[in-house]
Amino acid sequence: MSTTPILRLRDVTRHYRSGDSLVRALDGVSLEIHQGEVVGILGPSGSGKSTLLLIAGLLEPPTTGEVLMDGRTVATAQTDLDALRTFRRTHIGFIFQKANLIPFLTAVENVALALEIDSVRPREARAYAAHLLATLDLGHRLDNHPARLSGGEQQRVAVARALANAPRLLLADEPTAALDSVRGRQVIALFREIADRRQAAVAVVTHDPRALDLFDRTIELCDGRLGHG
Amino acid sequence: MNLAFKDIRFNVLRFLLTAVGVAFLMTASIGMVGLYRGIVADALLVIERIGADLWIVQGGRQGPFAEGSAVAGTMDRRAEGLSGVASARRFVQFSQQFPFAGRSLRASITGLDFPQDRGDWISLHSGRLLASGHLEAVADVSIGLRLGDMIRLGQDDYTIVGLARGMVDMGGDGLLFVTVNDAIAIAQRRTSEEVLLARASAGPAAANRSSVPQDSKIAAVLVALTPTADEAAVRRAVLAWGDANVLSRVDQRDLLLNQRLWRLRVQILAFTAVLLVVTGIVVSLIIYMLTMEKLHEIAMLKLIGAENSVIISMIAQQSFLIGAAGLVLGLGLSALIFPFFPRKVLILPADIALLGLAVAVICGFASLLGISRALKVRAQDVLS
Repeated sequence: MSTTPILRLRDVTRHYRSGDSLVRALDGVSLEIHQGEVVGILGPSGSGKSTLLLIAGLLEPPTTGEVLMDGRTVATAQTDLDALRTFRRTHIGFIFQKANLIPFLTAVENVALALEIDSVRPREARAYAAHLLATLDLGHRLDNHPARLSGGEQQRVAVARALANAPRLLLADEPTAALDSVRGRQVIALFREIADRRQAAVAVVTHDPRALDLFDRTIELCDGRLGHG
Repeated sequence: MNLAFKDIRFNVLRFLLTAVGVAFLMTASIGMVGLYRGIVADALLVIERIGADLWIVQGGRQGPFAEGSAVAGTMDRRAEGLSGVASARRFVQFSQQFPFAGRSLRASITGLDFPQDRGDWISLHSGRLLASGHLEAVADVSIGLRLGDMIRLGQDDYTIVGLARGMVDMGGDGLLFVTVNDAIAIAQRRTSEEVLLARASAGPAAANRSSVPQDSKIAAVLVALTPTADEAAVRRAVLAWGDANVLSRVDQRDLLLNQRLWRLRVQILAFTAVLLVVTGIVVSLIIYMLTMEKLHEIAMLKLIGAENSVIISMIAQQSFLIGAAGLVLGLGLSALIFPFFPRKVLILPADIALLGLAVAVICGFASLLGISRALKVRAQDVLS
């Protein structure tokens, strides 16, 4: 394991104003995730898990503190996150509870789109997308639209899309919530395999206790503060 | 990857229904403009085709297309005597209703100064032009007559020897061409009662006169100039008579378009503008709704790093494709429907180009609404 973490949050806080009161969604959170590591982020609803994921994914700025990728500070309270769109595209992959596939694109097109957005030529993008889907046992579903895929298949297409640009960091928000236990374990096992094979760092926000044994470690959030599992 | 095409192909029925809706609005717009063009073309038909350089009309008046005009029956002889005049013909035109085969038909009786004017300028569809000075007629097909039909006009029966197409007056009535002398006879038709009343009041000598005052039926004299003629000199000479006014072809056009048809033009233009505004609102709402439906996908596109240009392009392309499909379908519908309309609907390439430009502006505006909404979407909205 390299000494420089892929993701590092340093004393991150995130506060919201709600009327006259101040909501502390995250309160001084620091964590590191290294390459090849699959980390589970646990905690009850409202504990700040999703906020943590948004800040780590450069979708929201921290109120204080900083986000570092590969040792480089990429986000602070003053950062214009819209300017990080390209950085996000090439460094971070996202997977959600819902697959969020584009309904009018086929499975292979959903994956290829992520590559074409990154200026990969259409033919090459499609070929690589097909290869990625084949490695996820979806080679026979390339030209199916999302509506024709099962929940598990859709989620695997979403994983393929997240992997398309070979990101160093994969962030997953409740990826198994809509799946049965077998499919849920398969998805976490897939993250495990991706982390091993691609040396990516994977952070998975989950409520699901069925696959905890597949994580390298878990961290627990409670009221915006961190405790280790 | 073209996202707009992919979305359309996936939702092809929705796209087609939307395009058909826009097409009906386009058809209405094309129809309004075409109707206006048709009315102008009909109004200018005689002026443009009859081959007159100058129209000599009743003094102090603007001629038969603007108001009542009657000139002396011998005014053509006077005109022929002017230097620079190649020919002078009498012009008569009036509307007439007449019974035929149990129906009441309507036509605009137009006199040809036969044999000088045999009607070579008429768009003959079938049959022949006038070959005799009396009791023959050439009718526009819109009147509803056929070759060989006999119609009673005034005291006489006329045989339809030729059928014309597209020859109508400003009101849309088909033209029925007879000789000037026949036209005058038809115009001077009197009932027996009129003749009796005239005799009673003025004695037998008045039998040939109507109890109703009858002015000359010659509305104007059409003058063709020689190639070397000085038009201004001819004008001056005619005006010097005192009982005549003179109008050029340009004057007649101006009179029709900017005076006689002015209100109609403004009315049609205003209605077309209203239709285009409605089209704009409808297309804008459609594009806005299509964008609203895709907010989640747009957030996802932003999340995976798509530049704004990808999203703008998708929305704008869909907007323009809907507009283009609506215009093409609208043209198709127009070509199918308007030939069955009773009045001429003239679809000119220049008007189609202008309408295309208007549609492009509408689609551009419509896509701006969708784009402005899409640009407000944040990548993190994908979680909502």
